[in-house]
Amino acid sequence: MSGGQALFHTEALVKRFGGLLATDHVSLSVEAGEIHALIGPNGAGKSTLVNLISGLLPADAGRIVLDGVELTGMAPHQRVRAGLSRCFQVTSVFRGETVRDNLLLAAQAHAGSSFRFLSRRAGEQALMERALVLAERVGLGEVLDEQAGALPHGVQRKLDVALALAARPRLLLLDEPMAGMGPEDSQRMVALIESLRAETAILLIEHDMDAVFQLADRVSVLVYGRVLTSGDAAHVKGHPEVQAVYLGSEEAEGDVEGAVKGNLKGERA
Amino acid sequence: MDAIFVTEQLLNGLAYGFMLFLLAAGLTLVFGIMDTMNLAHGSLYMAGAYVAARVHDSSGQFVLAVLVAVGVTVCVAAVLEVLIMRRLYRRDHLAQVLATFGLILIADDAVKALWGPSPIMAPTPAALAGPVHLMDGLPYSSYRLLLIGVGVLVAVGLYWLVNRTRMGMLVRAGAADRQMAEFMGVRVGRVFSFVFLLGAALAALAGALMGPVSAVQIGMGEAILIPALVVIVIGGVGSVRGAFVASLLVGLIDTSGRAFLPPLLREVLSPSLAADVGPALASISMYALMAVVLTLKPAGLFPARA
Amino acid sequence: MTTVDCSDEMSPRALRGGAHGRLGTWLPWGVLLALAVFPLLAPLLEMEYYVGFVRRALIVMIAATSLNFIAGVGGMVALGHAGFIGVGAYGVVALVDAGVGSAWLAWGGGMLAAALAAAVIGVVSLRTREVYFLMITLAFAQMLYYLAVSLRTYGGDDGYGLYVPLSLGAGVDALAHGFYWVVLALAALVFAFGSRLAVSRFGHALKGIRDNETRMVALGYPVFRIKLAAFVGAGAVAGLAGAMLASHNAYVSPSLMHWTESATLLVMVVLGGLGRRWGAPLGVALWLVLTEVLKLYTDYWHWPMGVLLLLVVFLAPRGLAGLLDRRGA
Repeated sequence: MSGGQALFHTEALVKRFGGLLATDHVSLSVEAGEIHALIGPNGAGKSTLVNLISGLLPADAGRIVLDGVELTGMAPHQRVRAGLSRCFQVTSVFRGETVRDNLLLAAQAHAGSSFRFLSRRAGEQALMERALVLAERVGLGEVLDEQAGALPHGVQRKLDVALALAARPRLLLLDEPMAGMGPEDSQRMVALIESLRAETAILLIEHDMDAVFQLADRVSVLVYGRVLTSGDAAHVKGHPEVQAVYLGSEEAEGDVEGAVKGNLKGERA
Repeated sequence: MDAIFVTEQLLNGLAYGFMLFLLAAGLTLVFGIMDTMNLAHGSLYMAGAYVAARVHDSSGQFVLAVLVAVGVTVCVAAVLEVLIMRRLYRRDHLAQVLATFGLILIADDAVKALWGPSPIMAPTPAALAGPVHLMDGLPYSSYRLLLIGVGVLVAVGLYWLVNRTRMGMLVRAGAADRQMAEFMGVRVGRVFSFVFLLGAALAALAGALMGPVSAVQIGMGEAILIPALVVIVIGGVGSVRGAFVASLLVGLIDTSGRAFLPPLLREVLSPSLAADVGPALASISMYALMAVVLTLKPAGLFPARA
Repeated sequence: MTTVDCSDEMSPRALRGGAHGRLGTWLPWGVLLALAVFPLLAPLLEMEYYVGFVRRALIVMIAATSLNFIAGVGGMVALGHAGFIGVGAYGVVALVDAGVGSAWLAWGGGMLAAALAAAVIGVVSLRTREVYFLMITLAFAQMLYYLAVSLRTYGGDDGYGLYVPLSLGAGVDALAHGFYWVVLALAALVFAFGSRLAVSRFGHALKGIRDNETRMVALGYPVFRIKLAAFVGAGAVAGLAGAMLASHNAYVSPSLMHWTESATLLVMVVLGGLGRRWGAPLGVALWLVLTEVLKLYTDYWHWPMGVLLLLVVFLAPRGLAGLLDRRGA
């Protein structure tokens, strides 16, 4: 899907760890308003790719461009300011703080300088309101004063997403948002992600095939650090190599067989 | 500055380095496996030095003195392990620093009460008082040769222990990934005690041997603790091999610096400036080495952790 | 890995509960008042000697507060803080030698020198964490120590005297306890500033970095710059303490910067309660008073302090401030 500038694209991203080519000339794009899903077996290099895009890992070669701005070589926090935000596969929140304080911290990063030494943050109405808005957005309004570390897993993952939203991103990197969730929580997360479509483009890394095929406009398959194929859900489901990769791997068999054989809302094991 | 002087100083550096290794090996294992910072390790060294000096002084038997020193120190260490260290293994580093700093304070007063506030004499064993002629015109202290000899033996012994015995394998597993080792059924508590006592024995040995060539006084433990910490950081926490390489490096650089820098600087700087800057540069050389290593290899030369 | 209790902050809210809420607000003023009148009451209590003692304690408290901030609030446990104290002290000496007579100028200069040292050391050290950070800050402080030992112009190992006291301004100099009250005022300012800083945007950001640095980066915070700013600020305040110490002792020596001084400072802070509002004052007071009292009675004053440390580690891990907190709540 090249030609006509996509909102976000990577060009031939490469990352090596010693002799291992973890990311093999990956070129991806995400259009404005699109949810682009990235799937692939374990060890395919999805997390590495996310870390390359967000800047936590330096790329060995290739480019990353968001909204016409060259992100390659930018420090991670600068990429956030350029409109890129991410959540984490292993929930990364401030466990000792309340949900409200978590959100305040996220909001503070995008509401002026943090080099303010003399005024109490607690007095900043605008920040308080922003935290409230973020909480309502993801459905955390009831638990604002609970300690983040004491919340159930599914709620913590919602907080993880809310923290990423505070940056009002142009592109949101969702790294396995459904990880460790049961069916009810997953459906709620799917609904949340669908509702985010209007606000930001999304690059969704997931194992949960049901969610992927419900949400994704486009799906790319990553295998051994390389993009195997890219296209809409039907294209990917029908692709013989994709089927081979997935039917060959034991852990995904249960979920994927149903999905690949065209059974979108198939019974999950 | 002739070849003999240079060789002599390099050998001195080796001797110091090997003694540092005895200290650093125990420290790095305790830190690497139990994730415990034990500042009182220097106090065990001090205990070894004091006991050995007194026993040697009264009995005239050097080997006996060393054995008694190691034995007594290991007993003290065993008590310490049961009473204090076991409760520190799962605490954070700051708590460990505080507690073991407290132990240093207690140890310093204990030594003062037992042997008085002044430094004591640790005589060189008579048999090793004379020089050995390594080559024509190169007499060298036979006692320092003993230090090097013991150091080599300990290094070989540790290598064999860590790489060729079952206990050593458990120790390496614990150093690489403690939780995994626990899951695999390793009796972690026993390994911990073993490592701690082994470290104590080595520290006491170093103290007993260093007595004749350095000052036996209160505070000697803290004085050698810093170089030992620098060594384990340079070598990589948890790695005995790293401690070995780093100890010799630090020993050589420190001794050479003190010996060669002042005369070298006198060639290029004014005598008064050289007299000022020389010793200072020599003293900071090991810190400069650490800073350089950490810049290039932030986890040390041979990081043990995966 | 440092398990700092993040639910307690350096703020009046830390002293919870109704009664303690009020206690939290008027306690600092009460302490300030008591300390302010102390020199006037001292002759009546035959404690005139101790005015100097309290003055020194206040200066040490200033340094301890700065360490408590970076270590407790920021999670940057440094073992080289005494280095900045030394730089401040020697800065004063250098300026006095150059003819400066005003205490404010000399102390300001000392602060600036310490801030510069902290900037250089911080840029290199703050890329490391945990034990490596501990060791690298220790290394730099030792380098400063040996540098001072090698400075023959300032007496090297023997140290150097300040024979002409600096002037605090005509009005203040005339007061018998002018220097004392200036120190007290500055200590109060540092205490207040530290408390306020902990609940400011900067303080919250620093705490976030302490608790989850990766997330802070992902949230868009310029993490390195924030840490560096805190480190340099703390270094400057420690430099101020060092500068005042030079005036207090009328003497400087390299021993100010020896690593045992840094370790003792850290011990005092943890004893008082790391990251807590009253951590530095309580810790410094406890340590200095106890050692002073013990020294009156025995030569063996080290081991009781050692036992105290063990007791605190096992029975009161949140320090004295934490202990008092829990009792009240």
